[in-house]
Amino acid sequence: MLEISDLSAGYDSKDVVLGVSIDVREGEVVAIIGSNGAGKTTFLKAVCGLLPVSAGEVRYEGRSITDLAIHEIARAGISFVPAGRHLFPEMTVAENLGLGAYPHRPEAGQQSVVFDLFPRLAERRRQAAGTMSGGEQQMLAVGRALMSRPRLLILDEPTAGLAPKLAAQAYESLAALRTQGMTILVAEQQVPLVLSLADRGYVMETGAIQLQGSAAELRDNPTVRRAYLGVA
Amino acid sequence: MTAAILDGIVLGLQFGILGVGLTIMYGLGGVLNLAYGSMAVVAAVVVSFSMRSGLPAGLAVLLGILTAAGIGLALNLTILKPVYRRQGEARVLLSLILTIGVAFIIDGFLVWRFPIEVLSLSIGGNPVLILGVPMRTGSLLASAITLLTGGALIFFFRATVTGRAVRSVIQDEVGAQLCGVNPATTRTLIFTLSGALVGLVVVMQSMTSPVPISAGFEITILALIVTVVGGLGSIRGAMLAGLILGVVHAMSSFYIGSYITTIILLAAAAFTILLRPSGLFGKHA
Amino acid sequence: MTTEDVNSVSGTSGVLRGRRKDRRVSNLVALTSIAVAGIVLALLPIWIGDSRSHMSVAISGLLFVCYAIAFNLIFGSTGQLFLAVGALAGVGAYASAIISDRLGVPFPLAMMLATGLSMLIGGGFSWIAVRRSLDIIFTGIVTLVFSLAFDNILLGQRDLTGGETGLVVEAGSDTFLRQQIPPYYVFLGLVLIYLVGYVLLHSSHIGWAFRALRDDRMAAELTGIDVSRYRIYAGVIGGGMLGLAGALWAHVEGFISPATFTFIHVDVPVLLMVVFGGLGMLMGPVIGSAFFTYMGEVLAAFSHLRLIGEGTMLIVLFLLLPKGILGALRSGASGLRRRRQTSKR
Repeated sequence: MLEISDLSAGYDSKDVVLGVSIDVREGEVVAIIGSNGAGKTTFLKAVCGLLPVSAGEVRYEGRSITDLAIHEIARAGISFVPAGRHLFPEMTVAENLGLGAYPHRPEAGQQSVVFDLFPRLAERRRQAAGTMSGGEQQMLAVGRALMSRPRLLILDEPTAGLAPKLAAQAYESLAALRTQGMTILVAEQQVPLVLSLADRGYVMETGAIQLQGSAAELRDNPTVRRAYLGVA
Repeated sequence: MTAAILDGIVLGLQFGILGVGLTIMYGLGGVLNLAYGSMAVVAAVVVSFSMRSGLPAGLAVLLGILTAAGIGLALNLTILKPVYRRQGEARVLLSLILTIGVAFIIDGFLVWRFPIEVLSLSIGGNPVLILGVPMRTGSLLASAITLLTGGALIFFFRATVTGRAVRSVIQDEVGAQLCGVNPATTRTLIFTLSGALVGLVVVMQSMTSPVPISAGFEITILALIVTVVGGLGSIRGAMLAGLILGVVHAMSSFYIGSYITTIILLAAAAFTILLRPSGLFGKHA
Repeated sequence: MTTEDVNSVSGTSGVLRGRRKDRRVSNLVALTSIAVAGIVLALLPIWIGDSRSHMSVAISGLLFVCYAIAFNLIFGSTGQLFLAVGALAGVGAYASAIISDRLGVPFPLAMMLATGLSMLIGGGFSWIAVRRSLDIIFTGIVTLVFSLAFDNILLGQRDLTGGETGLVVEAGSDTFLRQQIPPYYVFLGLVLIYLVGYVLLHSSHIGWAFRALRDDRMAAELTGIDVSRYRIYAGVIGGGMLGLAGALWAHVEGFISPATFTFIHVDVPVLLMVVFGGLGMLMGPVIGSAFFTYMGEVLAAFSHLRLIGEGTMLIVLFLLLPKGILGALRSGASGLRRRRQTSKR
């Protein structure tokens, strides 16, 4: 579904991500794990058009989306939830969700899907997004991303800044989406959490893929255990 | 007294629309358009000349508003292109200077070609009593159109998909793009709308009192005051500030005199910046 | 601006920032260029001295050099966009005229009082901007608002200012200031003093702070430079320069009106001159004012197109020549030098 080959990207002609290749098949949940500063965020931003790609190619459903603008990628069916969330702070929850369906009017059906997944948002329907807690904002960001009925959901650190209990809840919601058949690509530092959800994973360090395999393989890999799972 | 307040509300709505037109350009494009008023004077000239050549008033007004909208569109597609390549303060500064240039060119041209022209749209008929106040048909019509436009604007920004998309770009450009909103298209739309709004307001004003050909800069400053008091980039703020300043303007010119009124408006802008730089509803400190 | 731009704009400052010997050399260069400009300008009346109209154009050119130097100091050196150049000069002019004619104060003393008032207002703007941490845009708007309010007050307070018709200035009418050529030299003297003052300011510790401020405000703050203090210095000094020039003009011309000090008639042309000559460069204001004054005369037959011409220049300059003539020459020269060096290697 998504094939990325030899992608390099960075800031001001200095590349941070160096020739990364990954692929995501339909219906899969794929994790990118790595420590802070490994290049995960830069990589996802480049894939979704927030940063220019300096080399390599991104193909989605067979066609190249490497040079498309953010909004074109979004309209092609990929919803990206960045770590910064980028909500509309002065708009209500309902208005934020409504914009998720742009350029169409929001469908009542899809809105109730989101409210089923995050009942909290239904209660806060009329509250301004900027006044909500971090956990609620994260729910809203995912909810907004789902409003366009995307075929691929990309998330960057969905648990950043969340208390452990909320982080676990966030992954329960993602698991629910997975059972509905959603394809998900997620970058995450909380490795145990993400490996409990994912089918496959990639380990990224210093801008390159160091390791890849099924979630089970990664869980059992001594390097991963030492570096990310806190097992000696 | 009643007359002054009624006048003030209508004037306030006009101020509000004037402010909205300027503030959306700032909020969306980071552009402070100082050619704003001059665009509108061009619209008034077009209306005046098409009426003189025998066009019906309604059609002439439409033509004038379309002209102003066209100038807004043209600015966005030509001279402002290099502005968008910059960010933040440098962008606003360059836009401010380039649009002063445009304002000079437009004003210079108008004053050269039509040196003593005063634009007024006279719509005849006997005065009608409203709440015991005699109102001329011209100002009644202007008030009606102003109310309608104000309402339409609120509906557009609150209830339509496109209007919400505009607000989303103002609040978080990247967020809007992630939702599939194309900021460049939105910007083009908004600059066209902005031209149409200022054109409309000035044509309305010419229905109640004559607009001198050199009024461009004054209109720009008026819009700037409303925008600053409302908070740069805030649509709600511009509407509210417009209403307040409109009533203040009407009361003060009724009781004190127009020279002090101008100073009061300028002082309102200065004190807003000094006391609450983000304006009534602004989001940034 | 890219780093390269900053480097080429601050080409001299890099030299000045260096060792004391370098600084002395570059001061020498600056003072020499002032001397050359002074001599050329001092000789001008030989050719045009017998024409009253030419002389008055030349004097008004020098007035604009004064304005432009002050603006260059305030905006070019400390990044404060003062859109009240005309208004600050107008404060000086009207205050000096009213104090001397109404209160019977001798006009030299009146000029000093008026200059003090402009210093107070100029410094006040900077103080407010610093205290409320206004950015370039808000500083611009506040000063523009002051300019417009000042214009309105001039028009409204008829009995004091003469309103739209203007004010005849009696004080100074029986002195050499009203003769044909002497006031030219008085203004030239003022220009030279301003220029030398500009150089001295920039080679002192204040100038070091100015340059740091202009190149990178954050870095300047981090290195412990008291940014706000130097901004206020620039506001006070610049305001005083404007007020003094305006006051002198009032007594030389013998007549002032609101139109002489409006945003459109003063601030925009001054911005054009400074940017044309080169923002933040010593001789930028002189070159800019000379160019625009000369062009104004050559194109006098097209004066009805003046606004259109100024508007076009503003756009063209900011898009094509943002560093001005001097800046373009300098980066051209350093580009050549760099090419020569690389070819040597």
